[in-house]
Amino acid sequence: MTAIIEAHDVHKHFGSFHALRGVNLTVQPGEVVVIIGPSGSGKSTFIRTLNALDPHDAGSITVDGIPLNGKGNLDAIRREVGMVFQSFNLFPHLTVLENITLAPIRVRKASRADAEKRGLELLRRVGIEEQASKYPAQLSGGQQQRVAIARALAMEPKVMLFDEPTSALDPEMIKEVLDVMKELARSGMTMLVVTHEMGFAREVADRILFFDGGNIVEDTTPENFYQNPQHERARTFLSKILDH
Amino acid sequence: MSLKSAAPRHPLLTTAAWVVGAVAAFYALFWLISFVLGQMPDPIGPRADLFVEGARTTLLLTLISGAFGLGVGALVGLARTSHLWLLRVPASLFIWVIRGTPLLVQLLFVYNALPAILESVGLNVQLNEFSSAVLALALNVGAYNAEVIRAGLQAVPRGQNEAARSLGLSGTQTMVTVVMPQALRIVTPPLVNNMVALLKDSSLASSISLLELTLAGSRVSSETFLPIPVLTTVAAVYLTLTTVMTLFTDQLERRLKVVSR
Repeated sequence: MTAIIEAHDVHKHFGSFHALRGVNLTVQPGEVVVIIGPSGSGKSTFIRTLNALDPHDAGSITVDGIPLNGKGNLDAIRREVGMVFQSFNLFPHLTVLENITLAPIRVRKASRADAEKRGLELLRRVGIEEQASKYPAQLSGGQQQRVAIARALAMEPKVMLFDEPTSALDPEMIKEVLDVMKELARSGMTMLVVTHEMGFAREVADRILFFDGGNIVEDTTPENFYQNPQHERARTFLSKILDH
Repeated sequence: MSLKSAAPRHPLLTTAAWVVGAVAAFYALFWLISFVLGQMPDPIGPRADLFVEGARTTLLLTLISGAFGLGVGALVGLARTSHLWLLRVPASLFIWVIRGTPLLVQLLFVYNALPAILESVGLNVQLNEFSSAVLALALNVGAYNAEVIRAGLQAVPRGQNEAARSLGLSGTQTMVTVVMPQALRIVTPPLVNNMVALLKDSSLASSISLLELTLAGSRVSSETFLPIPVLTTVAAVYLTLTTVMTLFTDQLERRLKVVSR
């Protein structure tokens, strides 16, 4: 089996801040990888380098066999990689359905009819078909985030990146978004998820990565990570988030 | 299940209807102004045609230089936000010069100095009063519009750009389909404000002997030695024009809000 993501010795600086310090990671197709770690540890920055929203400074990244270097193949990679943001980032001037069909029509050159048919299917999949003609501001946070997931799926990506998808949600709405993500994980999608939702990690993750100081310090299964964290930093982190 | 995509009224269509309405309204307004001024006693009534002629020039000057000013503003505003310093620096320079010098000096420069400069490089261009005024006013309001448009583009949250790019949209597609429609809603009120200011600033064109409303008024005033009724009339006509203009642009703003929510 060939890896879908291969990152080798990835570095990233923001001015004088060394955010990523030589990250290495290989992800196989269909794997669900949950990334945790204290804030400022580089976990969000790392997944943002995978579709070059924050281009890496040194090292190599290959997604589905396409090397991420320079501009030429950037759009090709972004079509393979879907991303869901903490703050949803839906387009407020477009309806829910138009949010979903924009990229298929503009980038994939799909016909409007096909794109809308597919868009409605995706909305059904995330359970909000009846909201298709509303504007994002008319939806709850949980509904907006589900639209954002459907919007990313409309491009039929091979990998989905989630950057703290439930951190901006009311507690009541977290579950509806996690349920959609669990369904997606079971369907065989390759997923990299930055989150603090430990229940989600335990239930669907194949691997847990613990980031600290700009690098992966643990790469293990959820069971191993909870029962037997290797690093002191991971132990203190776990005790803090599990005790609250 | 039949679910049609929401079809909001097409923005271009509503804008076209709005333009037709505005033109018709201004025709009616001019008819009304000529009628009212014609009924007034001396010194206004017998010279009503001169006032109406001046008002028409003022409005035409505002609309034409306003339209060019929007074009200038869009180009310079976009250039100001460009990654390329070759675009960014000239745009900043242009804004710096225009905003840092008086409009009156700019009008005099375009009318008196520009033809001489062009002649010295072998270009024999004759600009009449009206064209000179259009050029100076368009460049002036264009610089102010450019700053409004730059601020509007930058006010669209960065996450919008990131979401669009992560979906594979190109930079241009992102600009046209995601950033600009949102910026349009932000920039409309301040652009309207600039247009109303332009209508009033166009009175400075009287200094290059363009017979617009202010010059018409001051001619009548010095002929008749009756500044009170004459200048009151001039002010009243300006007020009428800006009021009607504001009424229409309020409508336009409301329409844009409905379309883009």
